[in-house]
Amino acid sequence: MFMRKSKSLKIMLSVAIILFIGKSMRAQENPLDTLANSVFKIKEDVDLMKRVKMSGYLQTQFQLADSNGTPSYAGGDFNAHTDKRFMLRRARVKISYETPLTQYVFQIDATEKGFNIKDLYLKFTPRQINFVSLTVGCMNRPFGFEIGYSSSMRESPERGRMSQIIFPNERDLGAMLTFQLPKTSRWNFLKLEAGMYNGTSSSATDFDYKKDFIGRFRMDKSNKSEKINYGLGISYYNGGVRQGNNNICTIASDNNGINGYVLNSDTAHYGKIAKREYIGADFQINIDFSFGLTTLRAEYIQGQQPGTSSTSKSPTSQPTSDTYLRSFNGAYFYFLQNIGKSKFQFVAKYDWYDPNTDVAGNDIGKTLTPYDGKTYKKTNSTDIKYSTVGLGLAYRWDNNIKITAYYDLVNNETSDNLKGFNRNLKDNVFTLRVQYKF
Amino acid sequence: MKKLRIVALIATVAAATTAFKLADLNLKIKGSDTVLPLSQKFAEVFMKKHPETKISVVGGGSGVGISSFIEGTTDIAMASRKMKMSEKMKMQDAGKAFKEVIIAYDALSVIVNTANKVSQLTREQLEGIFTGKIVNWKEVGGDDEKIIVYSRESSSGTYEFFKEHIMQNKNFASSVLNMPATGAIVQSVSQTKGAIGYIGLAYLDKNVKGIKISMDKGKTFVEPSMKTAKDKTYGVIRSLQYYYLSKDEAKVKPFMDFILSAEGQKIVEEIGYVPIH
Repeated sequence: MFMRKSKSLKIMLSVAIILFIGKSMRAQENPLDTLANSVFKIKEDVDLMKRVKMSGYLQTQFQLADSNGTPSYAGGDFNAHTDKRFMLRRARVKISYETPLTQYVFQIDATEKGFNIKDLYLKFTPRQINFVSLTVGCMNRPFGFEIGYSSSMRESPERGRMSQIIFPNERDLGAMLTFQLPKTSRWNFLKLEAGMYNGTSSSATDFDYKKDFIGRFRMDKSNKSEKINYGLGISYYNGGVRQGNNNICTIASDNNGINGYVLNSDTAHYGKIAKREYIGADFQINIDFSFGLTTLRAEYIQGQQPGTSSTSKSPTSQPTSDTYLRSFNGAYFYFLQNIGKSKFQFVAKYDWYDPNTDVAGNDIGKTLTPYDGKTYKKTNSTDIKYSTVGLGLAYRWDNNIKITAYYDLVNNETSDNLKGFNRNLKDNVFTLRVQYKF
Repeated sequence: MKKLRIVALIATVAAATTAFKLADLNLKIKGSDTVLPLSQKFAEVFMKKHPETKISVVGGGSGVGISSFIEGTTDIAMASRKMKMSEKMKMQDAGKAFKEVIIAYDALSVIVNTANKVSQLTREQLEGIFTGKIVNWKEVGGDDEKIIVYSRESSSGTYEFFKEHIMQNKNFASSVLNMPATGAIVQSVSQTKGAIGYIGLAYLDKNVKGIKISMDKGKTFVEPSMKTAKDKTYGVIRSLQYYYLSKDEAKVKPFMDFILSAEGQKIVEEIGYVPIH
């Protein structure tokens, strides 16, 4: 009996030892597996964190104008009692959350002038048709090159006068479709953006029932050696502005052939849409020469712009005064030359904006002679053409800091019949800017 | 005698200075999977000669390497393609002048499984296979077997080179399987009878078969090899380059001098690439 008990005990002890060893082996996981699991978990966390991106830039500058109270498109008009100023021109912070098929973007601008939302949109691409994306919210208008080109990258301190007038704030509220084949396609260099927008810019609530169509078709290609890169684009804007009263002023000639405005007053005009239509073309080329990277850019826009007697700027609120319809055109040309492999870049720019191509020179401001019983109004300073030559030098301190010295030479059309415009105005501006970008 | 002492003193100081510089040498090299085995060998031999130095080498693709170079997280970007204009402009905007140095040349090899009886294809046939127009090996003289196509991801310089020179920028078929590294393509092709892929010459081994390619519509077929790459009879050749900042010239000089020397170029040939001389 003792022998049987002893044998049973041995069996039970053996089973217990085997079970204990098995458990110990499972508990002592292979160190390499542990490491691999840890790395995998860390990678998962990093992949999630990489979806959130934050960037921004700060532009501080000192400016010196030709005279006190200089009206300027180089950062806004100077106060009546000063010809020099320090400014926080832009202070942007942009946060985005991106997955392979979706993107959420939020960008603000905070300066001494106040706080503004610049971008606030979401973009998504259906998996099944990955060459189409939908963007909704507040975003850059898809017109031309200069509007969408970031202010942090732009070589001149400001966009051209025309861009600031016809596209105030650059951004608008709307919905846009983007068509572009994936990078694996040979047609990836083509892109079409088209959308419907309020037409009032991002900072304003829409005030009329007319929604504006904006579209741009562009191509962007490099040669095989990657020494030359070029881009071409054509853009179209079709929209309008609701008329706030019965009066509409259009260009007409008087008995002497002088162009001015003829007033057409009719109750039927009230609440109707005054046409706002632009077409544009843009071109860019970058060439990697041995003496430095060279860039040439050009953009031309023409069209019809509804404005008022005192401004041709696109309205951001319901106009209540007479509607003035003007045919306009404008363009800019950039020549950018990086100086060898140095950190310096030379900048030269020429731009013009003619708010009224039907009148020029001494005809501006000339009193008209009515002959047909209609009411004629003479043109004024709103119809003056401006051209600007900009010369500058940029220095890239490092990845984050860029210093730019830039001089705007502004020339205006002159007219002996317009008070204050019988000579070129003293409105040149020098800008010294330091930008920090992250 | 006095002059001899001065010369000896100058030589000693120069040697001490160089040794001091090499002791500070800590290089990070990142980028092309094609250049990876070459860079690893360079680093291994150089560190053996100069144990005080430290060189780390990481792959990921030419695009990844150049991106890291722009961000400033790697000293040298290794690439099997030229830097794009958009990348050059980013470097310019960051105020970073850089240098490009060609360290070797590579022959792009198209590989199939060793059991595949097809041993040569024209560029047009390759284009048909990779665009999905040719789906069975019997269409190009092989067995009745579905073609399984492997490619690199779009961040790869090898991918870009293949797309430009073999596919003439046409779209890859949606059925193409994208692999993250050259080694993965070699493994997949070696294990799949109907598979086809493309790699750099240095990755060609006995587990896969490199096929002859005709770039003149079937008139002549040339196999990828060191000999045909050197005598330029093989038409699918590309340069392999390093990119580094101009301000780091003194820092990378000892390593670059070694790579471009006869000893360094011998390593190029041993690994399976074409020396620059």
